[in-house]
Amino acid sequence: MAEAQIVFENVVKRFGSVLAVERANFKVHAGEFLGIMGSSGCGKTTILRMLAGLETPTEGEIRLNGMRLNEIKPADRNTPMVWQNLALFPFLSVRQNVEFGLKTRGIASDERKKRAMQWLDRMEIAELSERQIHQLSGGQKQRVALARALVTEPPVLLLDEPLSALDANLVIRMQGVLTRLQKQLGITFIYVTHSQSEAFAMTDRVIIMSKGRIEQIATAQEVFRRPANRFVAEFVGSNNILDGRVTAIEDGSIVVDTNIGAVTVVVSQNDDFKVDDHVEMVISADKIELSSQPTGSTNEFRCSLISEEFIGSIIGLLVETTNGFEIKIQKPHHELELHNLTEVGTLWFSWNLDTPYLLPRDA
Amino acid sequence: MNTRIDKLITAGLILYVVAVFIFVFAPIITSMIFSFNSDRFASIPLGSFTLHWYETVYNDPDVWDAVQTSIIVAVSVGILSTFIGFCTAYTDYRYSFRFKNGYLVLALLPPTIPLIIIALAMLAWFARIGASGQIWSVVIAHTVLCSPFAMAVIRLRLQQIDLDLEPAAWNLGASEWVAMRYVIVPFCKPAIVAAMCLTMAVSFDEFVVAWFVSGLNKTVPVIILEILQGNVDPQINAIGTFVFVTSMTLVVIAQLLVTLRSPKRSST
Repeated sequence: MAEAQIVFENVVKRFGSVLAVERANFKVHAGEFLGIMGSSGCGKTTILRMLAGLETPTEGEIRLNGMRLNEIKPADRNTPMVWQNLALFPFLSVRQNVEFGLKTRGIASDERKKRAMQWLDRMEIAELSERQIHQLSGGQKQRVALARALVTEPPVLLLDEPLSALDANLVIRMQGVLTRLQKQLGITFIYVTHSQSEAFAMTDRVIIMSKGRIEQIATAQEVFRRPANRFVAEFVGSNNILDGRVTAIEDGSIVVDTNIGAVTVVVSQNDDFKVDDHVEMVISADKIELSSQPTGSTNEFRCSLISEEFIGSIIGLLVETTNGFEIKIQKPHHELELHNLTEVGTLWFSWNLDTPYLLPRDA
Repeated sequence: MNTRIDKLITAGLILYVVAVFIFVFAPIITSMIFSFNSDRFASIPLGSFTLHWYETVYNDPDVWDAVQTSIIVAVSVGILSTFIGFCTAYTDYRYSFRFKNGYLVLALLPPTIPLIIIALAMLAWFARIGASGQIWSVVIAHTVLCSPFAMAVIRLRLQQIDLDLEPAAWNLGASEWVAMRYVIVPFCKPAIVAAMCLTMAVSFDEFVVAWFVSGLNKTVPVIILEILQGNVDPQINAIGTFVFVTSMTLVVIAQLLVTLRSPKRSST
C-alpha cells in the first residue's frame, strides 16, 4: 500500500530552550479532514507552520507524498494556508489577492484572471472582485482567503483557526462551506482549532495535543467516548472522572470504591483486575440519568442541584453528591421540563453498568 | 464652576498654540511680505508692490546654478537615503540578531551629532581622499544626514504591518525577493514616498554641511549667505520665499502620506 500523503516522523521542534513539539508521529491520508486541537501554546500551530515550511523541525522528518520536506522552502511546497487573521494583502483588490499565488508561479495575466474569477464565483463572491479588502465583511474576507489558498489547486490545505474571529452564526455557516468544499475537492484539509465543536463537527480524525505532546489521534466519536488518557477525558469537558480502588471482583464486573461511593462497572474478560488496583473511569455527562425519586438502580446516588447552564437545547447541570463531590450532567431541555426536575430539592442520578469507560491503566 | 475653569483652560491653550505659531512663522511671513516690497530696506510703512526682486533673482545666473545644484543634490539624496533607510528599517523589522540595539543606535546617530562637527569631519575626510568640493561630496554628506529620517518614517510603517503578510506571500509561492517586491514595498509605498519628500526637503534646506563641503558647487542656502554677506539685498527675501515654499510643499506631502493612510490600515 502506498505511503500516507503526509508523514510526521519523530518530529521535534524547540524554540531555544522551549520544547514546542515533542516527538510527533502521525500520518495523514490523501483526502482526509484532520483536526489538530488543543489549548493555546500546545504546539498545534507549530505543527501546521512546519508543514508550510515557516518553521524548520529541530529533529525528525516531514514527508509529503514520499518527498522529504524539511529543507524545501515555503515557496516551493504548494501547501497554502488560511491564516488565523487571514493575512489578506490590504493594498490589493479581492481579485488581485486571489491571483497572487498564480502570479508568483508566472501564470499569464488572462489565465490568472479567469481562474481567480472561477474561484470567486465558486465562493459566491464574484461580484466583489474589484473591491478593496477593507470594504468586506468578516465572512466575505474568509471566502477571499479560501479562494486565494485554493486557486493553485493544492494537494493539501492548511487552516489555522480560520473561524475564530467570526460570530457564532457565521461560524456554523462557514463550517458547512468548508466541509462541502473538502468533500467536493477531495483534497486533504488540516484544520487547527481550539474549539471542540468545530473540530468534532467537521473532521474525520482529530489530534489532541497538550504541551507539545500528541495525546490522542482518533475520530471525534472515539475521542469523546474512549479518551486515551485522563488529559483527553478532561479536555473534552463534558466528562466526569472518578478515581478509585477495586474492592471486589465479580463475574464480568468489578466494584470500585470511588469518591462518591461504591460503583459497579462491567468489564471485559480480557481486563485483568486485581483487588486494590487503581482505576480511573470516565462517565459522560449525557449518559447519566436523573430522577426525583430513587429508582433502585445499582449505581445510584443522591445529590442536590448546584447550577444549570443553557447549551442550546441541552442543559448542563452541576449537582453535588452528599459527600460534596460535583458531577456534571447534560439533559435535553424538554426532559427536565417534563419531570420538573430543577424545581425539586433532592435528586437521584444513576447510570448503566456499562456506561463508565475505564481509562487505560498504563496511561 | 468647573465648566468656567475648563473654558478658561481651553482659551489659554488656544492662545498658547496661536502664540507658538506666530513665534515660528512671523519671521518667515515678514520675509515673504518684504519680498514683494519695492523699498530696498525692510521698513514700515511698506513701499509699493513689486516683483522686481524675483526678477533680479531670476536673471542671476549664480542663483540658477545654485538652484540646479540643490535640485540635483536633493533628488539624489532623496533616492539614496530612502533606499538606505528602507534597508535599515527592513533589517530591523525582519531579523533579530546580537547587538541589534547597537546597530539601531548607530543607524539613528547622525542627526544627534552637532552639524558643525559632521561638516568639519566630512571636509577633512573628503580632502584626505581627494573628493572635496564635488557635487557628489554634498550628496554623500547629505545622505549620511538624511538616511536616519528615512529609516524612522519607513520603520514606523513597518511596525504597523501584519506580521503574517510576508509569510503569507511565501506560502503562496513567492520567493523572498518576490515577496519584498509584491508585499513589503507596496505596503511601505506611502512611507517610501514620504521619506523621499522629507529627505529632499532636509537636503534642500541644509546649510552648514553644504557650506563646508560644496566648494564651487554652491547650493541655494550657501548662495543666500553669500548674497547676504555682500550687502543687504531684498533678493534674499525672494529666494527665502522660494526655498520655504519648496520645502513646505515636500514636508506637507510627506506628512499627508504618513497620516492619511493610517485609518485605512486599521480596518484591514
